[in-house]
Amino acid sequence: MDIILLKATAVLYLLATASFVFYVLVHNTASRLPTLVLLAGFLLHTSALSVHFLQEGYPAVTQFHEALTFKSWLIVALYLVIQIKYRLTVLGAIVTPVVFLMTLAAFAFGAASGELPPGLKTYWLPVHFTLAFLGNAVFALAFAVSLIYLLQERGLKHKKMTALLKRIPSLEALDRLNYQLLVWGFPLMTLGILTGSLLARIYWGDYWTWDPRQISSGIAWLFYGALLHGRITAGLRGKKAAVLTMFGFCVVLGYFLWGETLFPSRHGGRFE
Amino acid sequence: MQKEIVIVGLNHRSAPIEVRESVAFENGYVRDALVRLRGYPAVQESVILSTCNRVEVVAAVSDAETACHDMKIFLDEQRAGHGASSLEDHLYTYRGADAVRHLFRVAASLDSMVVGEPQILGQLKEFYDAARQAGTVGTVLHRLFHRSFFVAKRVRTETGIASRAVSVSSVAVDLAKRIFDSFDDKNVMLIGAGKMGDLMARQLQRSGVKSLMVTNRTFERAVAVAERIHGSPILFEDFPRYLKMADLVIGCTGSPEILVDAPAVEKVLRERKQQPMFFIDIGDRRNFDSAINEIDNAYLYNIDDLKEVAEENLQERSNEAQKAEEIVVQEVESFGRWIGSLERVPTIAALRAHFDGIRRRELARSLSGNLKDLSSEQRQALDDMTAAMINKMLHGPISHLKKDAPEEDEEEMRFIAALKKLFDLEGK
Repeated sequence: MDIILLKATAVLYLLATASFVFYVLVHNTASRLPTLVLLAGFLLHTSALSVHFLQEGYPAVTQFHEALTFKSWLIVALYLVIQIKYRLTVLGAIVTPVVFLMTLAAFAFGAASGELPPGLKTYWLPVHFTLAFLGNAVFALAFAVSLIYLLQERGLKHKKMTALLKRIPSLEALDRLNYQLLVWGFPLMTLGILTGSLLARIYWGDYWTWDPRQISSGIAWLFYGALLHGRITAGLRGKKAAVLTMFGFCVVLGYFLWGETLFPSRHGGRFE
Repeated sequence: MQKEIVIVGLNHRSAPIEVRESVAFENGYVRDALVRLRGYPAVQESVILSTCNRVEVVAAVSDAETACHDMKIFLDEQRAGHGASSLEDHLYTYRGADAVRHLFRVAASLDSMVVGEPQILGQLKEFYDAARQAGTVGTVLHRLFHRSFFVAKRVRTETGIASRAVSVSSVAVDLAKRIFDSFDDKNVMLIGAGKMGDLMARQLQRSGVKSLMVTNRTFERAVAVAERIHGSPILFEDFPRYLKMADLVIGCTGSPEILVDAPAVEKVLRERKQQPMFFIDIGDRRNFDSAINEIDNAYLYNIDDLKEVAEENLQERSNEAQKAEEIVVQEVESFGRWIGSLERVPTIAALRAHFDGIRRRELARSLSGNLKDLSSEQRQALDDMTAAMINKMLHGPISHLKKDAPEEDEEEMRFIAALKKLFDLEGK
């Protein structure tokens, strides 16, 4: 049942992608249609995750593909919040295709959801992954917002004046949103790491075990911390801040996608 | 009686400004003029349009030849007090579908001096309202004007014709909007007293900036300019100290001297914690170091950059105008269908009356002849039955007539003509 719902979700995300691309990039008009299609997809996605939770009794996050689809769900949720508050339809044109690909990839990796190891049946697990994923989702959006910032900045520096650039929010607004995302993302990431080390204590026996996953999170945390510090105290803003925000997310994403094969971790979607 | 739409008038292309001014209707007098126009029997409905770029009389008339002649006389009379030379050379006349097309193009700002400028629609509405109040608007012009407002709206939403700035200072404001989220907390510094700088500062003020500093080598001039544009004057020697407060800096001294160089901007940006700055070098001579644009969070546009964008926008507008023309063509066609259907209304009525007349005459004859013994109920039933019969018989032809068809459709015209001839409907 949840698989059928997920497939329908993927179809709607594809439709949303198409309508975002059409309205934002090709036709260049303001329309609520893409957001509404995305919202429909999001509701289906929500029901798919709920059905899984009710059937299995625990949330669908233990497998790689499950983590992927849960993360895409969070990203869509966050985007919808930002869209309501800032009307940043261009962001949708970046986020929606990514989310669609994530959902698709989830099918590619798709296997039956595994049994949850008995040792991990604690309340800390859902708290941990929700916080950690939420932090990641916030940084993913910060990545996209930074990308839009660079687009606008480049257009201004090179004296380009296209209709698209005119509809993108101002540098000031984008920079502020980027900062706010960092302000939200950093504490979430911190809490994600803290709850993670609690789980490490429960399952692996120690708070800090020099596991590659812990190390990579630690590096990303230090990086984002330094970025936040720079923004607050040293007037780090604009293009530099945008580039660094994007780089930070690449660190997170890089490990999530490839790091595990190079530095095998006991963590993640592989609880053998 | 079929009415035809005609427009007689002149605009910025057909007549020079002196001629346009001499014909222009002053605001308070439009009503009187409309009443005067009503004195011409051929003109049934009329709206007068008078802006600085055009004077036109839009009318629905019964006899186009006479009406056009009358309207020209009317415009000539309007001019009587002003000029002597003939107006004829400057006037254009549009009739039928051409007139509809012309009005739609005017409303959509396709006929404007600056294509896409938005004021014309408001003016059109005002003059339409004036005519409505004067009682010179009937079914045809009512529909025509409302349709033209609709066309203008369609063009505005479906094409990008009005969304692009074509003056240098509005291009700069558009750019500033891409850098700054809001203007109400932004300070502007104007260096120099050139005319363009003055215009630019005013435009920014209209956009709602927080404050304006004005500086000039001669302090008295700074004071004078500041007074004129409601800014605060600062001493020329002091301006580098105030630079860190300025979000937008306009240079327009008219002399070729670099007043702000890149290192100075880097220093100022550090002081303002990298809050972005927008430098607008709007004079003919450069006042800002071109290397400023290389610095992060600083943006520099000079007059040539702005002109280039303005010209691109103008080009873009004419591309968009193509799309708008297509919309106008569609709408003229659909309006033509409506006018065509107006013509069919009398034909339908005549056809019904013709058949009903036959029915009543025959019924009356029979009911007073060999059917005179029928009861009143039976009479009623007979009346109903014959009426239903006529309705059924006419259903086909009438529903065909009611269908929207293009005005110029020849087959349709032949069909109507055939009906009129077959049943001798002409003149009834």
